[in-house]
Amino acid sequence: METKKTQTKAFANLIISVLLLVFEVWAWIQSTAIKTAKNATVQPATFPQIMILGMGVFTVILLIQSVMKLLSMKADDPLAQKAETLNVFKDRGTLAALFVIALCALYVYLFKDVGYVVVSFFLCAIIMWLIGLRNPVKLLLISALVPLGMWFIFYKFLTVNIPMGILQPLRDLVDMI
Amino acid sequence: MDWNLLFSSYANVFLDPTTLLMTLLGAAGGVLLGAIPGMTATMGVALLIPFSFGMDLIPSIGLLLGIYCGGMYGGSISAILIHAPGTPSAAATLLDGYPMAQKGEAGRALSVAMFSSFCGGVIGALIMTFLSPLVARVAMKFTSAEMLMLAIFGLSVIISISGKSIAKGLISAFFGMLLCTIGLDPTYSKQRFTFGVTSLKGGLSFIPVLIGLFAVAEVIAGVERIIAGRESAQAKSNEKITRVLPDFQTIKMTAGNILTGGIIGTFIGAIPGAGGDIAVFVSYAFNKGISKHPEKWGTGIPNGVASTESANNGCSGGAMIPLLSLGVPGDSVTAILLGAFIMKGIQPGPMMYVSELPTVYRVFAALMLANLAMLLVGCAGVRIFAKIVSLEKRMLYPIILIVSLLGAFSINKNVFDIGVCVFFGVIGWLMNKYEFPLSPILLALILGPMCEQNFVRFMDLNHGNFGEIIHYPIAIGFFVVAVGVVIFSLINQRKINAREAANAAGSVQE
Repeated sequence: METKKTQTKAFANLIISVLLLVFEVWAWIQSTAIKTAKNATVQPATFPQIMILGMGVFTVILLIQSVMKLLSMKADDPLAQKAETLNVFKDRGTLAALFVIALCALYVYLFKDVGYVVVSFFLCAIIMWLIGLRNPVKLLLISALVPLGMWFIFYKFLTVNIPMGILQPLRDLVDMI
Repeated sequence: MDWNLLFSSYANVFLDPTTLLMTLLGAAGGVLLGAIPGMTATMGVALLIPFSFGMDLIPSIGLLLGIYCGGMYGGSISAILIHAPGTPSAAATLLDGYPMAQKGEAGRALSVAMFSSFCGGVIGALIMTFLSPLVARVAMKFTSAEMLMLAIFGLSVIISISGKSIAKGLISAFFGMLLCTIGLDPTYSKQRFTFGVTSLKGGLSFIPVLIGLFAVAEVIAGVERIIAGRESAQAKSNEKITRVLPDFQTIKMTAGNILTGGIIGTFIGAIPGAGGDIAVFVSYAFNKGISKHPEKWGTGIPNGVASTESANNGCSGGAMIPLLSLGVPGDSVTAILLGAFIMKGIQPGPMMYVSELPTVYRVFAALMLANLAMLLVGCAGVRIFAKIVSLEKRMLYPIILIVSLLGAFSINKNVFDIGVCVFFGVIGWLMNKYEFPLSPILLALILGPMCEQNFVRFMDLNHGNFGEIIHYPIAIGFFVVAVGVVIFSLINQRKINAREAANAAGSVQE
């Protein structure tokens, strides 16, 4: 079955080009707010602006390529294949990916207060459960021992002080031993 | 060259049990540190330098060089196995190393990486032994003009690593260069794109971005594939590792890549400010360019791993050249080594070749020993490291995620960096989904600051007249080579596209 033009990789490239152009315009506006330096041969905003322009030029090229491709696309063209979707209602995989991203965001938020070992335990256990590990012993052991082991290596051997949050007494205990 | 002194220095180092033990310990520590995303050889050397205080010079230099060489190889382990380069110098190893692991050849990829690292290190040490004063003299002629053109030359390889769409590769590269400008501008300290966030004033840390783009993005994509039914959660590698060193056929096939990688690595490593992270991409692009089958690069071939791993270990010898000959460190690790020399009462520089020649030769020997120690540790570890991919994906992905996020934190001990890592994980996932290559961003992040700083410095020195660049022959040489690389890469890419189209047509007819 032939893929609808709006579902092809060429069309995805077209949409991405438009979004990138919007980003580049926004970045350019932001770059105009960079303060100037007195007597400078190259202003602080010059280099980023060259980069934005460079990005813009190749975005326009991608846009033109996509439009040309959409106008004269054959069925066996690689860009005529179905593009990946971000529609969570059509693709459970995308929904799961977004769920993992949300978990990671929560992980960052809780990292300092709850501590590495505990947040990592939950992150690890939830993802393992999500992707099909149903053995509770394996799930709990891996989720608990890997963060604990990593914390111990980083703390004792690499002298990296990792937030322990509610497990602070554990660090005191290790220090005491 | 005083051959008698050279041989006696080598014997002195290779037959001293303390030096042997310290170098071996250093190599083991370096391999382990390098394999942890977020931990670099620089950190390893910095961490262990206090332990070397009480030792004699050569055992302590052996320990530090062991970490340096071990760390260079160690970075490839996580790049090959979990798509997270342990060190920036291993960033290009994943281009072919990870696909090899995905094809069930993780052990082979590791052994090729180890053997190439060893050979690259030996090439670097040999060039250092015989050519160091000469190479150092050329390297020290580098001013801002040459450094700018070196950065542009480095950027010219982007087309080679862009994959099918050059436009997408270049968009990625310019995006990466734009990311480098976040934070305080290096010349006038004006804030750029910081949006009032204090943590952004120092710019984006390279390691969290690297871990995010590759490791976190791979975990998100892996979960997506499993839930969508495109990958089995129970999938694991069943590779049987029968040998720890590559077979003769593989060595023969990769010998040319190893040799060129080692030479490129040594010469780039000798330039102060340029290191393994640049050399690996230059070597990869060069070897891909001269390959008879460039279309196979990036699909998981040992040549890709060999060309990058020999280059980054070649850098270790290269970086020692300006350190010993001129007292100028070639990279951050040699800067710490310079401190170690000074602490022992030795001032590296031109006079060292006159007053401390036996020490110079013993340092050459210690570097050779460090490479040998790395090979031994690597041989002992290949089977153990390869076990990682024999874990089921449903266990491996969450473990990679929590180790990676900790690696991102550990570099600056800053929670903000974990946020950066997750953010770039999402960017990497989206870019992979819509076929934007990630490697150009990485190369741009490495070369962007070098490019901007030297551009501004050159323009300031020449009162804004860029045309003055014609008075710098080495810079012009780099520019001509860069243009040549771009043209050659474009022709090569056309060849690759034509061959792939022919292969696709052939498979349809069948």
